[in-house]
Amino acid sequence: MSERGTYFDKVWDRRVVQRLPGDSALLFADRVVLYELLGAKAALDIEERFGGRLYDPQRIVAVTDHIAPAKDGDSAQQAQALRLWARRNGVRMYDIGEGGICHVVVGERGYVTPGTTVCCSDSHTCTLGAFGAIALGAGTTAIEGAMLGGALVVKRPKVMRVQVNGRLASGATAKDLALKVSQMLGFRGGVGYVLEYAGEAIEALTMEQRLTLCNMAIEAGATTGIIAADATTYDYLAAAGVDVTPDDALRADADARYDATLEIDASALGPMISWGTNPGESVPIDDAVPADADPAALAYMGLTAGQKLRGLAIDQAFIGSCTNARLSDLRAAAEVFRGRHVSVPTIVTPGSERVRRAAEREGLHEVFQDAGALWTHSTCGACCGLSMGVLAPQMRCASSSNRNFPGRMGEGGRVHLAAPVVVAASAVLGRLATADELEPALTEVHA
Amino acid sequence: MIVEGPVLPLDRANVDTDQITPGRYLVGMNTDNLAAIALSGVPGAAELLAAHPDAAVLVARENFGCGSSREHAVWALLQRGIRAVVATSFGRIFEENAYNNGLVPVTIGESDLDALMHAQTLRIDVERGTIAVPAREDSPEREIAFELDPLRREYLAGGFLAFVERQIPDVRAWEAAHSTP
Ligand code: SF4
Repeated sequence: MSERGTYFDKVWDRRVVQRLPGDSALLFADRVVLYELLGAKAALDIEERFGGRLYDPQRIVAVTDHIAPAKDGDSAQQAQALRLWARRNGVRMYDIGEGGICHVVVGERGYVTPGTTVCCSDSHTCTLGAFGAIALGAGTTAIEGAMLGGALVVKRPKVMRVQVNGRLASGATAKDLALKVSQMLGFRGGVGYVLEYAGEAIEALTMEQRLTLCNMAIEAGATTGIIAADATTYDYLAAAGVDVTPDDALRADADARYDATLEIDASALGPMISWGTNPGESVPIDDAVPADADPAALAYMGLTAGQKLRGLAIDQAFIGSCTNARLSDLRAAAEVFRGRHVSVPTIVTPGSERVRRAAEREGLHEVFQDAGALWTHSTCGACCGLSMGVLAPQMRCASSSNRNFPGRMGEGGRVHLAAPVVVAASAVLGRLATADELEPALTEVHA
Repeated sequence: MIVEGPVLPLDRANVDTDQITPGRYLVGMNTDNLAAIALSGVPGAAELLAAHPDAAVLVARENFGCGSSREHAVWALLQRGIRAVVATSFGRIFEENAYNNGLVPVTIGESDLDALMHAQTLRIDVERGTIAVPAREDSPEREIAFELDPLRREYLAGGFLAFVERQIPDVRAWEAAHSTP
């Protein structure tokens, strides 16, 4: 298998501690990330069952993000359990006020470097594959194993090359590319594969754009996503204060063999929007709901086949999540909001407290607040429907997050996934829209 | 290991873990109270569960357990009495979690699924890798073969963490010989 020569294989081979039956391997776990909602239990289990023995507390990072700060007694217990455990064990914890969404915090602080592995009890860990690392979401037990034994048992996936040619069209964003990949592969087209994104368009992406793209690999069922490290990666890490020497041997062979290839022309992309109940159910915003749409999805979303999506009235807008709440996302959204006003309740939640402070130094918080949006501290918040913007049944929300599953943002709530600029334009107009529909802004408002 | 019992026919694809255990039930430290909320985010599941109170084998269509990594999805099904899930494919993390907790994840071909979906009870022989489908008016009794992951099947009895623990010396030796951040 290792003769495939893909970038993923090169990283894999560097991290194999031991080969195991059935094409699995024990991989070294360079980083283990925990957060309160699904991590506190793993941490306490290790204490109960193994006397708290950790392979290496320095390799573990903990955050509070899903419900942060706690909203009730139960969520407070989880956060407090993780907090006290971290303190007892010398584990670095980024708590409220300092941290933010785990995948954002871990990335911006340079915890993930090319050629290594990172795991977390969260399916969107695939985000961090943008650093040229193997980034794996895992369950509680597997994370316990990584904390206890410093290693992960992983079945070697097939490798799909997602070849993105051309340059991203000026009206398109990394989110549109991510939704396009989801649409093309469908909700399970990536099962059994890692998606290795490559090509001219990928090389031209910034780190933040790469993170957005990799974030949604799981939404096609893929094991994870990965992008070969290059100058963009090393420059970003250097700016984050991590000194890693670029490693020329760490790259895909010119004649690498992929198990499958998906080709996309980035220059033909435009704004995408999801219409259904999984991210694969996405289309260009000017397309209608497909004629062969799943009736259950239509019923849940309150839509009919053939219905136009542009112009659909919304009840809420959310810009946030580990997909699209980094500084460049907030800047892009702010450009749409500047001098304008929202017409539905709108929440803007930065990806981390670092991002929040950087945005505030640029005055972006003023732009959001002048536009009538709620500017919050960093948290997962509305993305997972547990606090800070839960939808009521049948409420329709344009969201820059990654999941539109039934009930994801609140029981019965309807989610349309889109890029931050699309969500911002939709917030202003109160309907699914793009920024080119907007009247010229009242520029004097924010003089 | 034999899993035998009434079928819960969940005739849906892409049942994600948010539907199996909605996020609001993940809040709090108690994970032993999930039986009552298993599948509560699946439309129509309440009636289905009420009609099959003693179900032990859940049969579903493709991509069962996709989405969020929450192990609660597996715990909830186990607490509800489900010992095996049969589907044409699984979400990767759900399948791993299933092995790690002794919930048998059985992958079969599309062509066999309908017969299982309509069966009243099934008998799964985990060692032999066979599902016995009882006879019905229009079809004789038959057996469907399946394969479990050769490594992870060993974890069904609860041995995953013990396995990892035994590897610690090797992991330390590996780390000493390699450069890591
Ligand atoms: S922002 Fe949303 S998708 Fe990302 S980790 Fe938080 S809950 Fe999960």
